[in-house]
Amino acid sequence: MKKTLILGALLLGSTLSSAFAGSGPIKIVLPEEADLLEPCMATRSNIGRVIMQNVSETLTELDLRGDKGLMPRLAEKWEQQSDGSWRFNLRQGVKFSDGTSFDAKDVKYSFDRVMSDKNVCESERYFGGMTISAEVVDDNTIDFKADPVQPILPLLLSLVTIVPEETPLEFIRKPVGTGPFKLTNWTPGQQIVLTGRDDYWGAKPSVTEATYLFRADPAVRAAMVQTGEADLSPSISQLDATNPATDFSYLDSETVYLRIDHNIEPLNDVRVRRALNMAIDREAFLGTLVPDGAVLATAIVPPPTLGWNPDVKVFPYDAAAAKKLLDEAKADGVKVDTPITIIARTANFPNVTEIMEAIQAQLQEAGFNIELKFVEVAEHEQYYSKPFKEGRGPQLVAAMHDNSKGDPSFSMFFKYASEGTQSGFSDPKVDDLIKRASAAVGDERAKLWSEVIALVHDEVVADVLLFHMVGFSRVSERLDYKPTMATNSTLQLSEIGIK
Amino acid sequence: MLSFIRKRAIASLISLVGLIVMVFFLSRLTGDPAALFLPVEASAEMKEQFREIHGLNDPLMVQFGRYVGDILTGDLGQSLRKARPALDVVLEAFVWTLWLAVITMTLVTVAAIVVGSLAAFRSGGFFDRFSSMVSLIGASVPDFWLAIVAIVVFSIQLAWLPTSGTGSIHHWILPISVLFVRPFGIIVQVVRGSMISALSSAYVKTARAKGVKSGPIIFIHALRNAMLPVITVIGDQAASLLNGAVIIETIFGFPGVGKLMIDSILQRDFNVVLAAILVTAVAIFLMNLLIDLTYALLDPRIRH
Repeated sequence: MKKTLILGALLLGSTLSSAFAGSGPIKIVLPEEADLLEPCMATRSNIGRVIMQNVSETLTELDLRGDKGLMPRLAEKWEQQSDGSWRFNLRQGVKFSDGTSFDAKDVKYSFDRVMSDKNVCESERYFGGMTISAEVVDDNTIDFKADPVQPILPLLLSLVTIVPEETPLEFIRKPVGTGPFKLTNWTPGQQIVLTGRDDYWGAKPSVTEATYLFRADPAVRAAMVQTGEADLSPSISQLDATNPATDFSYLDSETVYLRIDHNIEPLNDVRVRRALNMAIDREAFLGTLVPDGAVLATAIVPPPTLGWNPDVKVFPYDAAAAKKLLDEAKADGVKVDTPITIIARTANFPNVTEIMEAIQAQLQEAGFNIELKFVEVAEHEQYYSKPFKEGRGPQLVAAMHDNSKGDPSFSMFFKYASEGTQSGFSDPKVDDLIKRASAAVGDERAKLWSEVIALVHDEVVADVLLFHMVGFSRVSERLDYKPTMATNSTLQLSEIGIK
Repeated sequence: MLSFIRKRAIASLISLVGLIVMVFFLSRLTGDPAALFLPVEASAEMKEQFREIHGLNDPLMVQFGRYVGDILTGDLGQSLRKARPALDVVLEAFVWTLWLAVITMTLVTVAAIVVGSLAAFRSGGFFDRFSSMVSLIGASVPDFWLAIVAIVVFSIQLAWLPTSGTGSIHHWILPISVLFVRPFGIIVQVVRGSMISALSSAYVKTARAKGVKSGPIIFIHALRNAMLPVITVIGDQAASLLNGAVIIETIFGFPGVGKLMIDSILQRDFNVVLAAILVTAVAIFLMNLLIDLTYALLDPRIRH
């Protein structure tokens, strides 16, 4: 009898401990406060890290943690119709945090709100160059018709957050969503608190409440996790990432490169562009000015992206060969001695000044005449995006591009098509290939994107691709969480376990 | 006295109007807010839509007229980035800055006067040399370095105080201590210099000859006369705190007006920039008025 009681008590104890262990509130310290908590702006990282998939959910979700690809979220399934439109079957029994029910009318309203001319939602930018209309079939079914037909429409809808149809068109500061958390406190300048919902449709996360704090200084963010004032800082500096038990580096979705302006001599000569690529010793930067773990880039998109081409190889570092190419161009009358200006953005990424100075020195070593100019973010945009200034000299614009969306279409048109706002050249062959890749599906789509990547790197030599960057996070030992490529833009609380 | 206040108010109002006009047009020279609000990949149509919604496509004079009209009704406009009234955003932050400035300057003033006066009384002695060394270090040490060192020592190593943030009285200790150091260093030097000259004056010698004790000589006879230059410096230091302590706010995550102002300039959130400048300018005007009144209180020659 006594033994049974003890055994019973032990069993009860272990059941209780497993029920109570592994859940609780956490504190997250971010570098920048959200200026808005507007769902249609959630593709901006300072907003998305707080509300994306925590408060506001999307129909579909791209799996950046594993390799499941596009996963269902508020849509249970979707299929393309014979006319090219997409039909989405919505999850039933879902409620918004204000108690109203989720249905197809909310989806239509959310999409129309993004496209409205009464506001400027950031997610609208993913729908440029197409006309899309949403038609409610019934409460749980909605059709999206796109002109031209959009093979990646389900992926695009992973960027549209769903709000109740009662939401005003103007920007809001108190988001209502279907996610596992609701906003319970926002004291501007101090904190944002999300509290777990009991009526969430999905699995209950281990995190019961998340308090977001904001500190601009990376050393302070790291110190806060060290002292227990916070449990997670998704971005700290490399210098502070000194504790292997809590600090993780992860390949983020940023790619650093020099955009070449092909319109101006001598950069209009492919030999000169090739020489630029061969004169830079990229390997020498790894573990020195660029953190170990960064990957040498052969594409403007990071490795897990569809169509990323493993056959494209980094230009070998060969200063002598670069010099020879320059000499050949010079012999043909190309003005290779013209000063070329590298335009870089102040504080764009860690060690940007030293990295650019080193690149300047390496290029000069190979015979280039390189000037270096640092500008603030607003001025940088004027150099980076069209319309380019008339009468400008030859320029290389150092920039960092982010694509964690899994598909090159979010990058390729902007960076390489003739009409792309940051494209430094115009090539009909590239335009045609981008157009065909954008319209293709499945394996054909991956194959065509691979071809685009090879074409712009090997033949066109469109730019000087440098590094796929890494970020550093500090995670308290009480949490079970590993940052991923998505951490730059979102931070799903449901992915955080508590030990 | 009332006419003095009225004259100062009118002069300050004129400066304020000039300031608003200047900042309005200068801020517009920095460029297009749409370029910073939207990502580089945003289409030209989206940028155009942003400008249209916020009235940035109108001629500059029309925008200015609208701004002046709104200001007369007490409306300083909406923040472009925060979708809420710019004045609310600024006042919320300014309250933190004001508390920080008031507490710090009160502590600095008391401490600097005591230390500076005692140093002057035994000029050349150990206390004088020691306090001179401490105040010179205080006036020269970079506050970002001091802030980080204070966090490492008091928050990480000793675990006595929180690293940053707000919420309890403990959160105020490190920011105020770091902010304290520089004005303290400067004001101690001024008090000391001013007191040395006051203590060597004829009326102090007379008081000594009459047998007045050291305490009353320092803190009643000499200090009152030595205070005029000290108050001027206190005013300067307080004004710089009212403008916001950007570095302290950044490191300690203090939601004050300094960082808000810098961020708004960098983001081209014009209405917040203007509201922040307006609020801090009014605060500095009121503080200068207070200083003028203190002069008059301390020195009958000014009063009359």
